[in-house]
Amino acid sequence: MRIFENSNYGFIASRKKGYIFSGILLFISLISFAINGLELGIDFKGGREFVIETTNVLDATAVRSALSSLMASNPEVKTYRVDGVDQLLIRTVGEEDIDVVRDQLTRGIESAFPGSNPVIEKTYVVSARFAKDLERGAIYSILGSLLVIFVYILIRFEWRFGVGAVGALFHDVIITLGLFSLLQGKLGFSLQIDQTIIAAFLAIVGYSLNDTVVVFDRIREYTGLFKSEAYDSILNRSINNTLSRTIITSGTTLLVVFVLFIFGGEVLRGFAFAILFGISIGTYSSIFVATPIVLELKNRATKR
Amino acid sequence: MQGNGFKIFLAVFFFALSGYYLYPTAQNYFIKKEVSGLSGEELATYQKENFAKIRNVEEKALKLGLDLLGGMHVTLEVRVEALIRELATDTDDAFNEILAAATAEVENSDESIIDLFVAEFTRRDPNARLSRYFRNETAGITRRSSNEDVAAFLRTEANEAVTRAISIIRDRVDRYGVTEPSIQQQGSRRVIVELPGIDDPDRIRGLLRGTARLEFRLMVDPADNVRTLQRVIEFYETGVASSTTGVDSLATAETDSSAVASADTTLDINDLLNDDSNNSGNALLDVMQPLGQGVTFGRVAEQDTAQVNALMKDPAVVALFPRGVKYMYTSSAVGTTAEGNEVYDLLGVRDEIELTGDVITDARVDFDQFTNIPEVTMTMNSEGSRTWARLTGANVGSNVAIVLDGVVYSYPNVLQRITGGRSNITNLANQAEAQDIVTVLKSGALPAPVEIVQESTVGPSLGAASIRAGLYSVIIGLMIVALFMIFYYRTSGIIADLALILNLIFIVGILAGFNATLTLPGIAGIVLTIGMAVDANVLIFERVREEQSTGKTLKAAMEGGYSKALSAIFDSNITTFFVGVILYSFGIGPIQGFAVTLMAGILSSMFTAIVFTRIIMDYVVVDKKKSVNFG
Repeated sequence: MRIFENSNYGFIASRKKGYIFSGILLFISLISFAINGLELGIDFKGGREFVIETTNVLDATAVRSALSSLMASNPEVKTYRVDGVDQLLIRTVGEEDIDVVRDQLTRGIESAFPGSNPVIEKTYVVSARFAKDLERGAIYSILGSLLVIFVYILIRFEWRFGVGAVGALFHDVIITLGLFSLLQGKLGFSLQIDQTIIAAFLAIVGYSLNDTVVVFDRIREYTGLFKSEAYDSILNRSINNTLSRTIITSGTTLLVVFVLFIFGGEVLRGFAFAILFGISIGTYSSIFVATPIVLELKNRATKR
Repeated sequence: MQGNGFKIFLAVFFFALSGYYLYPTAQNYFIKKEVSGLSGEELATYQKENFAKIRNVEEKALKLGLDLLGGMHVTLEVRVEALIRELATDTDDAFNEILAAATAEVENSDESIIDLFVAEFTRRDPNARLSRYFRNETAGITRRSSNEDVAAFLRTEANEAVTRAISIIRDRVDRYGVTEPSIQQQGSRRVIVELPGIDDPDRIRGLLRGTARLEFRLMVDPADNVRTLQRVIEFYETGVASSTTGVDSLATAETDSSAVASADTTLDINDLLNDDSNNSGNALLDVMQPLGQGVTFGRVAEQDTAQVNALMKDPAVVALFPRGVKYMYTSSAVGTTAEGNEVYDLLGVRDEIELTGDVITDARVDFDQFTNIPEVTMTMNSEGSRTWARLTGANVGSNVAIVLDGVVYSYPNVLQRITGGRSNITNLANQAEAQDIVTVLKSGALPAPVEIVQESTVGPSLGAASIRAGLYSVIIGLMIVALFMIFYYRTSGIIADLALILNLIFIVGILAGFNATLTLPGIAGIVLTIGMAVDANVLIFERVREEQSTGKTLKAAMEGGYSKALSAIFDSNITTFFVGVILYSFGIGPIQGFAVTLMAGILSSMFTAIVFTRIIMDYVVVDKKKSVNFG
């Protein structure tokens, strides 16, 4: 079977539509940042997170009210069921000793819901100071990645390609972050920005770049091959001739990430969601953002 | 097949290497399986007989992260600012301000607290010398030492403190008995402690943080104590009359302190602590029952300690204290209120530390011969014994406080001069507490306090659920991609699938070989790699199809496809690899596991796609003269 064989779509000709589409997505993302902001996880905010297993299913609101009378701050409570076991996810902030908080949680739940046998299965604590370091690390790693990529493309290709690649990556990261900002609290799973999500963003950066570089590689080859052909037509031909590869690789990756989204458990759901969306937007951007940027830069150079 | 000799050698070599590194993991699995069917007694004999083997296999097997295995991952930070304060002598307000400013600034900065402290100091007064706070003859810091010398001295001390903290923590963890603990320094002042299979995180937390400052102090003079109590109560007296229940009871206490019966005490507690309606109008008496007998200042219920501390911190109140005396709580409750809240005694102890834990040469858990309550017996070195003998000899009839980490464990009345350097810590809650105190005493005191800045503790059942979820995802993902490849690329798809399976073996082999840890995000990385690993093959196969469409023979098309796809494969993978490197250097724990699998996946998928599939293709097409269908 073959898909997109000898495809000849006018990607470059219709790039303006892509600009408008991307522009709208970027605009919505930025508006959403301004209104909703981003919900930071405790990795970057500091705080405590507990997963508590109980023998029977408890009502999240009831647990919350039972605990809030006991604890200094109002805890955030979620309930879900994994592998036939009922679990509570509780997030709190505060400076109390962690031993005391753990004790308050188990005693509070047990006394409010006798026979629920709460067992703390996971404790995750990040101090505010450590969170700041993690936040700095996350920002450095994203900016560092983009810089390294820019330099590498600069060496292997030319500067216009570097700008195109990094521009597309910014585009992907901003829009994926925008989606997180827009949908936070509206889906059944956590969209808080934590370390795992940063890892997902870097994976998106890596994979989106993958697509871009494959197209760029073809452009590099064709520029040497078809010297008389117009530059925009070379770009279009390169996109079309790599199209089936782009779609198939993105497709297989999306398939496995979807598997991860369904079967990977609660911890990886936000991660898988980010990558699902990020790879889709990354595939789009390597065609409609990265390559057109190269063309626009080239056009400006020839006009001068 | 000519010219492929080296490629075949490489493929076989890597395969064998992976097998070699994965063999202990397989062994480990079978041992675990065998052991799980054994009874307790059989298990013990089996473990005894195969101790070396089990140990060896466990060490070399692929390590699972604590998020999969269950356990505790703790990041500790050595409080360098506390160390600076401790090293300084003759500190004044300016010093405290500068240190506080530097401590606040360090949160938003990459620079070390020492650099910030020195910078802040010079900023305030460029001509001032730090050496006035840090004179230290053994370290060669004199009045003339430059600020750079002092900074260097502080840096050395801080580095030493971190190094010593690591060895002390390692010692404590070893004494506690954790299998395969990992303790590493991270950055300049952090320590990462990883403890698999911990079921009592509360105890470990205490063990890691415990500074184990053991101090022997003399205590307040009873007469001074009573006078101070009276004055402090008067200070907080808002009513007109100075006569309150508290002062009344003091009068009795003063005349006959030993005669205050415990029955009366219980009554007083109920009166003063539990009866909210009994608002005496005295801020202190609302939260503390005054005692003033012997060295005991008052009695405070657990929930009121913070309030009492605040009242006792008032500078005007501190001025009323006897010279060189401060107040500390008892380590264990002395009773309970009617509501079941525990109450603690507030005791007056002298500021001056007569003896520290440094003189302790040995400590062990003992049991009181009458009550069978656990206690810790300590032995001192000769210097400590001498001081202890002198101290006890000079204070027969008074109390000596044994203070550990800021709370008074016991304050025995000295009956006679104690020679031989023995002492006890009593009033312990249980044997575990006694054991932990022995552990921290034997490992020595931490040079500076440490703080837990990050902790992640996962129970074994949650870890097992994560392993299952990860495993399902890998298997299902692998099947879907494999089926798709066969469906889309036919024969060559089968070859790509072989490469995919080999790829998985390589990734896990690389993880085992480099002693990396498999975490849940790491498994996610493997799943992602399954999706991406076929990419190199897709690039090649698409290229081969393009070559074929120009009318080339199968052999020539393959030749062209492999060589032309190479640069795209290389460029696209190398950039992703860089991203992995950066992620590894900035991430912590599980995220590093993701970065490692990402990098391993890229390397092995490039190798399998370019080298391994080529060997198979050449074998089929060139040697067997058969056709390969590229779909």
